Amino acid sequence: MRCRKAEKSFLQSFDRALEAQEKNELEEHLRSCTRCQNKEKEYRMILGVLREEEIPDLLPHFWERLQVKIQERRKVSILPLWQKWSLRVIPGTLVLILVLAAAMIFILPRRQEELSQSEILLLQNENPLLETKNLLEEKKLEDKNMMLIFTAMDEKESSRRYFP
Amino acid sequence: MEEKELVQLAQEGSEEAFSVLVKKYEKKVFNLAYGLTQNREAADDLAQEVFIKACSGLPRFHFKSEFGTWLYRIAVNQINDYLRKKGRMKEISLETVQEKVVFQEDDILQREKAQVDEQRRTLVHKILQSLPPKYSLILALRDIQGYSYGEISGILKVSPGTVDSRLHRARRMLRERLGLFLSQRGGNNEMP
Repeated sequence: MRCRKAEKSFLQSFDRALEAQEKNELEEHLRSCTRCQNKEKEYRMILGVLREEEIPDLLPHFWERLQVKIQERRKVSILPLWQKWSLRVIPGTLVLILVLAAAMIFILPRRQEELSQSEILLLQNENPLLETKNLLEEKKLEDKNMMLIFTAMDEKESSRRYFP
Repeated sequence: MEEKELVQLAQEGSEEAFSVLVKKYEKKVFNLAYGLTQNREAADDLAQEVFIKACSGLPRFHFKSEFGTWLYRIAVNQINDYLRKKGRMKEISLETVQEKVVFQEDDILQREKAQVDEQRRTLVHKILQSLPPKYSLILALRDIQGYSYGEISGILKVSPGTVDSRLHRARRMLRERLGLFLSQRGGNNEMP
């Protein structure tokens, strides 16, 4: 038996009984190997210390102290739940508002402002009063009425439209 | 009343049933914590935390394992966190060990032997605490608490083969670190 195998065997011997052959081989090796003898002694000492550990008693009133702690935790457990959620909900809502605002500004199509007839004419560098002048100067009453009717059709409010 | 019934009652909110379970396991959980902390107050705090976690986790226990195994798993995780937070001892303080071994000339043989035993115990525990939690925990479960391979396998959720190899590695590490410490101390590699 080699030293490595011997070490494995005596480590196993601390947990279970070795088979007769393995036990004999180990004993034979230990008789001839001082290094392994020392090693085994050291392991025995270490395990002896660990296994003979003197453990003190629990501190008194273990359950009573535990009971108080459990009740305290239950009382405060609702608050952290709100804190936990509020920490997520508030920034989430802010982000949502910002996203919606950005969408309204950049994504939604902007309504084109409607220009009045006069504004259109002014942009085209034309005299807006010219049409009015022509209308007023029209001699033929029938034509004048027709011109007024067509002009009034642009008016959105029906009450302001012209009816001869 | 059987343990399963007690657990079911505790899950339904019975404080009395939970107290019976606590009384059954408090010493075992405390012993496990003490084996690794060597501090009565710290072990007591850890044991309390384990039961608080167990209480809040009871609704999630579905009897896939024994209640005891489930509880020890919580304990192992709790102790593991504690050891990790505490940080491994980078260096074993020579003073803490030597303080206890100053021999006085007029010491009687009995006292000398007791001191040597105490020195040995302190040293082994200091080195045990310096091991990575994975190894110190398995040593505590097997060599201090005396759990079987099967029980350890259930608690740590590893195969019995892994328990075996990890345990042997842990024992080797403990012995090697002890030898290293002693050789650094004075060249004499013999155990105290």
